[in-house]
Amino acid sequence: MRILVVEDEPTLNAQLVSSLRVAGYVVDSTDNGVDAHFMGDSEAFDAVVLDLGLPRMDGLTVLRKWRAGGRATPVLILTARDGWHEKVTGIDAGADDYLTKPFHMEELLARLRALIRRAGGHASAEIVCGPLLLDTRNGRVMVGGQVLALTGHEYRVLAYLIHHAGELVSRSELIEHIYAQDFDRDSNTVEVFIARLRKKLPPGLIETVRGLGYRLLERP
Amino acid sequence: MKIARVAALRGSLRVRLLAGTVFWVAASLLVAGLSLDRLFRDHVAEQFYASLQSHLDQLTASFTVDEQGRAALSMALSDPRLSRPYAGLYWQIDHLAGDGSVVATGVLRSRSLWDSVLAVPADGLADGEMHRHRLAGPAGSTLGLVERSVRFEAAAAASAARWRLIVAADERLIAEPVARFSGALWLALGLLGCGLGLAVVVQVAVGLAPLRRLRVALGRVREGAAERLEGSFPVELMPLVEDFNGVLAHNGEIVERARTQAGNLAHALKTPLSVLANAAHGRQDEQSRMIAEQVALARRQVDYHLARAQAAAATHGAGARTLLAPVIAGLLRTMRRIHAGRPLALQVSVMPETLAFRGEVQDLQEMLGNVLDNACKWAAQRVDLAAQRDGEVLRITIDDDGSGLTAAQRDAVLGRGVRADERTPGSGLGLAIVDELARLYGGSVDLAVSPLHGLRVTLTLPAAA
Repeated sequence: MRILVVEDEPTLNAQLVSSLRVAGYVVDSTDNGVDAHFMGDSEAFDAVVLDLGLPRMDGLTVLRKWRAGGRATPVLILTARDGWHEKVTGIDAGADDYLTKPFHMEELLARLRALIRRAGGHASAEIVCGPLLLDTRNGRVMVGGQVLALTGHEYRVLAYLIHHAGELVSRSELIEHIYAQDFDRDSNTVEVFIARLRKKLPPGLIETVRGLGYRLLERP
Repeated sequence: MKIARVAALRGSLRVRLLAGTVFWVAASLLVAGLSLDRLFRDHVAEQFYASLQSHLDQLTASFTVDEQGRAALSMALSDPRLSRPYAGLYWQIDHLAGDGSVVATGVLRSRSLWDSVLAVPADGLADGEMHRHRLAGPAGSTLGLVERSVRFEAAAAASAARWRLIVAADERLIAEPVARFSGALWLALGLLGCGLGLAVVVQVAVGLAPLRRLRVALGRVREGAAERLEGSFPVELMPLVEDFNGVLAHNGEIVERARTQAGNLAHALKTPLSVLANAAHGRQDEQSRMIAEQVALARRQVDYHLARAQAAAATHGAGARTLLAPVIAGLLRTMRRIHAGRPLALQVSVMPETLAFRGEVQDLQEMLGNVLDNACKWAAQRVDLAAQRDGEVLRITIDDDGSGLTAAQRDAVLGRGVRADERTPGSGLGLAIVDELARLYGGSVDLAVSPLHGLRVTLTLPAAA
C-alpha cells in the first residue's frame, strides 16, 4: 500500500513518514502543493494524507484539481483548521476524511486503514479471501488461524492482492504500490516476491496471467 | 429621583431648545408689551393734557373782567360735559392776589363742578405760564388739571388782579383707554406668545426628527438588524453618521482581524503540538508521559480559547440570516463521509425548507456540527434530526440511539473541558462550545433522554424571518 504524505512542517512530515513506514506502508512525501498535485496526478497511491495550509498551492485546490481530473484516490485531510465550516468545505472539495491537529498517530493510522479498505469496497477491518485473513489493524495475514511470517515487501504485495482479490493486478501496478517514487524499481523483484509468497501460501492461490499480471483466487 | 429627572431635563436637547426659545420669546414679548403699554399711556396722557389745554385756551379766550373787576365769560364753553354735574370735565377760575396768594377760589366754575370747589394749591405761577397738577376731585375721583394765570392790566379797580384759570378732567379719561389698550395688547401678545410657543414645539419636533431616526437606526445596529446606520440624514448629521459608520466598519475589521489572528495563533500552535505529541508518543519514560500530558492540556486550552475567540467575535449576526437546510445538508454529507466506517443512518425527520437562523453561517455550522458529530460518535446505528420553528425561535433536536448520558453526566458535559468518556476521540469541548455559542445568540442547549434511548440534544436558537 502506497501513501502520499503532503505536509509542509518538516518534523511532522518526517514523523508521519516514519510512522507510516513502521505501519507497513510505502510512503512518498512532499512539502508543497504543486509537487503534491503532480505526484498525485501521475502516480498511483492508495491514499493521501493532505495538509491544507501548503506553500505554492493550497491543499483544497490540490484536492479539487485531482477530483476534477478524475483521481479518486482516498484523501485524508490533516489540518489545524478544525471549524465545521472548514470540514464541510474540505469534504465537499472531495476529501474522504478529515482529521484535525493535534492528532494521535493511532487515529490517523486507523482512519487511513479504513479509507483504503472502503476504497476497495471492504467494510470490515478484517478482509477475508478464501483461507486468507488480512487484519489491516495490525498488518498480519493469517492462514487457517496461523500468522504468516512475511517480510515488509511480501506483506505489501500480498495485502494489495487481498484488497483487490479476484481482480487482475498488473506487475507495474504492484510495483507502483509497493515502492516509493524514488526507489530503483526492478520488475524482476516482483516476481521474486510472488515466488516467495507462493511458497508460504496454500498452493494455487496466486494465479499468473501471462503477459498481464497476477490474480489472487479465493480457492485454488 | 428628582436629581435624575433634572439631569435628564438638562441633558435633553428638546428641553434645552424649548426652554431657551420659550424664555427668549417670553422675555421679548414682555419687554415689547411693557414698552407699548408705556408708550400708549404716555400718548394718551399727552392727548389728555392737550385736550385740557385746548379747553384752557378756549376758557382763556372767553374770559373777561368787567369794570367792577368781576370775572365773566364772554361766551360759554362748548363741551357739553361742562354743564353736566360731575361729568368728569371741569373748569374753575380763582381770584389771586398780586403776590399769587389765593383771594377767592371758584369765582367762576363750570356747571359740572356743581357745588364743589377745586382746592388747587398755590404755587409760584408766573403770568401766562401753564402748570399741570393732580388732585382729588369731586365724587372721589382723581383729576388731572392745567392752570394758567392771567392778569388784566386794564381793570381800574384791580390793583393787582390776577386770575387763575383751571381746567381739570377725571383721570379715568386716561385710565380707561389705557386699560382697554392694555387688555387688548396683553391678549394679543399672549396669543402671539402661545403661537410662537406652539411653533417652537413643532419646530423642535420637526428639527429633532432626524435625531429620532438616527436613534432608531442605531437601535437596528445594536439589535443586529443592520450593519451600519442606514437612511438619509440632514447635512449637519451626515458627518456624524459617516464617522459612526466608519467606526463600525473599523470595529468590524478589528474584530475580524483579532479573530483571524487568534485563529492563526491557535492553528500555528497545533502543528508543533502534533510534532511534540508524536515525538513523546509510544515511549514509556517519565518525561515523555509528562510531555504527552502537557500537550493534551495545551491542546484543550488552544481549542477552548480558539472557540471562545470565534464565539466572542460572533457579531450576533449583524443582519445575518442563514438558511438551515443547506447547512444541515452540508453537515450530513460531511458526517456520512467522516463516519463512513460505521453503518449509521442519519435521518432528517422534520425540516421545513424556509427555516432560517438569525446569525452567521459559521456559528450555526459550528453548533450543529459539534452536536451531530457527537451524536454520530455515540450512536449505535441511528441519528435523527428535526428542526421546527416555534414563534421567535428555532428548535433543533438531534437524537441518537447510543448509550446516552446519566443526569449527572448531562450536567457535567456542558461544563468546560469535561469529557463524558475518555475513550472517544475529541477534546470533550464540543457541547460546551455549542452551549457557549448558543448562549451568545440568546439561545440554549438542553440535554435529555432521547426516545431512541440515547441522548437528545435540543438547540434553541433565534429564528430569522
